[in-house]
Amino acid sequence: MNPLKVEQIFKQYGDKTAVNGISFEVAEGEIYGLLGANGAGKTTTMRMVLGLIYPDSGQIHYHGKPYSVKQLQGLGYLPEERGLYPKVKVSEQIIYLAQLRGMSKKDADRNLKRWLDRFGVPEYYNQKVEELSKGNQQKIQFIASVIHSPKIVIMDEAFSGLDPVNVELLKGTVKELRDSGTSILFSTHRMEHVEELCRNITILHRSNPVLQGSLRAIKQQFPRERVMLGTANEVTGLESVEGVLNVKRHENGYEILINQESASRPILELAMQQTNIHRFEVMEPTLNEIFIKTVGERHE
Amino acid sequence: MNSSFWTVVGFTVKNKFRGKAFLITTLIIALIISIGINLPYIISQFTSGDDEAKSIGYIAHQQQDTDEGAFGEARIASMLSSYYEAQETPDLKLVPIADTGSAEGNEEALKQAIEAEAVKGYIQFTPGTVLPFPDVVYKSEKLMDTNVTRSLETALQAVKTEAVLQNSGISQEQRTLLLSEVNVSTVQITTSEGAGSVGQGKSASEQAMDMGLVYVILILLFMAIMITGQLIASEITAEKSSRVMEILITSVSPLKSMFGKIFGMFLVGLTQVLVYVGIIVLNMALPHNAEPLSDLNIRLADINPVLLVYALVFYLAGYFLFATLFAAVGSIVSRTEDLGQAVLPITMISLAGFYICMFGGLSNPDSMLMKVASLIPLFSPYAMTVRLGLSDPAMWEVWTSIILLLIAIYVAGWISARIYRAGVLMYGKRPSLKELRKAMKAYKV
Repeated sequence: MNPLKVEQIFKQYGDKTAVNGISFEVAEGEIYGLLGANGAGKTTTMRMVLGLIYPDSGQIHYHGKPYSVKQLQGLGYLPEERGLYPKVKVSEQIIYLAQLRGMSKKDADRNLKRWLDRFGVPEYYNQKVEELSKGNQQKIQFIASVIHSPKIVIMDEAFSGLDPVNVELLKGTVKELRDSGTSILFSTHRMEHVEELCRNITILHRSNPVLQGSLRAIKQQFPRERVMLGTANEVTGLESVEGVLNVKRHENGYEILINQESASRPILELAMQQTNIHRFEVMEPTLNEIFIKTVGERHE
Repeated sequence: MNSSFWTVVGFTVKNKFRGKAFLITTLIIALIISIGINLPYIISQFTSGDDEAKSIGYIAHQQQDTDEGAFGEARIASMLSSYYEAQETPDLKLVPIADTGSAEGNEEALKQAIEAEAVKGYIQFTPGTVLPFPDVVYKSEKLMDTNVTRSLETALQAVKTEAVLQNSGISQEQRTLLLSEVNVSTVQITTSEGAGSVGQGKSASEQAMDMGLVYVILILLFMAIMITGQLIASEITAEKSSRVMEILITSVSPLKSMFGKIFGMFLVGLTQVLVYVGIIVLNMALPHNAEPLSDLNIRLADINPVLLVYALVFYLAGYFLFATLFAAVGSIVSRTEDLGQAVLPITMISLAGFYICMFGGLSNPDSMLMKVASLIPLFSPYAMTVRLGLSDPAMWEVWTSIILLLIAIYVAGWISARIYRAGVLMYGKRPSLKELRKAMKAYKV
């Protein structure tokens, strides 16, 4: 049984539909991506999963059981915006939040120290949050969401506002959580993070799930329409090959848009006649392209 | 009541006690209270050095003008002089200045006496315009020297009586009888066996003491409710604006977090009030304060325990009623800057209750205004305390007031919890009532 199962949840605010029938399941040890433009309904969906608001219809099951206070204590939540007491010591507030989630003070203290060591910042134990940099506050926030070793973690824009080093650090930690069996519901605008972390995704657009499934299957639905060509010398006449829509010159070669995958072969042949080839690849669409295509098209 | 409620209470209390602002305000208010209580003593220390009698000049006429009879200028002057001399600690002393013979010369001589600092001022007699008794003019360089004129008035009144009596030929006993003061004392009684502190009747000093006590209780009540209420609202807004709220309400039910905070703040406020009361009692018990305070009819032993118990009950009820309202308002506002404006209606209501009692209630505790106010939940903590302290409301009135308060607390708590539940997740501009109602429906709280 999957730890988190969301079935056909609807949410209406007045006459505006915020979430229109989303279903998904997050397996043990899986990171599930929830994508969508601003206002697409990601946060509302997450709030319903967190039990902050109740769906008008549909059900959410945690380890096969419906919503209850006990179940909610087993959730971890990393909010989009930083939520910590600026003037309270790190140790005090993390232990407070852990206690509210049903941990004993001693266990919370031990876990906190372990996590601080893990991030290489044991000296923050006695510092106030306002004294820390934004990236380090984010580490503390992260600790707050996982200190009670939750089986289900909800992360809203987990890596926003972090430098690349810290992104890698937290990304590594998220992967470890996944490998230790935690189910993670993950929302972000950064498509490269999704490609790296998520197995399954849902793309929301204007409250509706428009694209859903495993990342690989989704990518296969979209045609390969981009050819990367790297050559020793200049290649002429690429534009006149049948099926070519657009040619962009880059520093080390060409990026060619084609209308169907079969148009790639004549391009390679043309190039081979003229010069040596370093690189030839028919690119699979990036999630970024898929996202813009899916969401962008429906804007009209 | 389970562990997370107490966790919230503990966290709230710990953070407040540790905050510097809290310690400093408590200390400052404690200091002001101490100074206030010691003020009569301090004043008495300063004024005691000022006991020396002021010298007042007058012209000592050489010859007795017999035509002037009983109210002759020279006779009045000498009687006045001996009136002051007879007193144990006279505040004035008459200094005779030699008669120069002419009015201008006398005036000049008196002015010179002031210049030479021999006298502070002088008196001149002119024939009475209405009565045969001479009119008196007191001249000095000071503006409105009322202390001297009042003293002179009393003295001259006595001198006049004396002069008349001497000529009337009545006996010594009759004189004593005539001059002795009539004794009127006041005792406040009750006819209805009410709940107030009147009991077996109150003497004037007890009444004065109760008046003072009610005054102090009113101010403490107002301060405790307003300060802690504002603190609750600003804490909640701060949690909201720092977004800790999102994490908090995924961990603990909004009801528990709200009431945990209110109760925690209550403990903080109660501690503060107890500290103030302790300081009041301590300062009043200091030996040097005993005399100046009892001169003002302030005695610890006169404090009415019944009044204190009722004051505590109404403090509790008033606190929880206002605290839930403050919490609800705090949860609606997203930024601390907007809080002041948002709590204004509550502040105004509280102020209205306070002022009704301060200006309408202390002097006239049984007016219709007070009777009505003491039944309206938001005003009753102030109004009923005043009535209990100063008059004698019937038992049923007190209990109706308390029960209405409890109902109001329940209703306000219920509504506030719902507003809180919906409000803490609403960001952006302050929501209108309609938006709030919509949100409350959406959150199905």
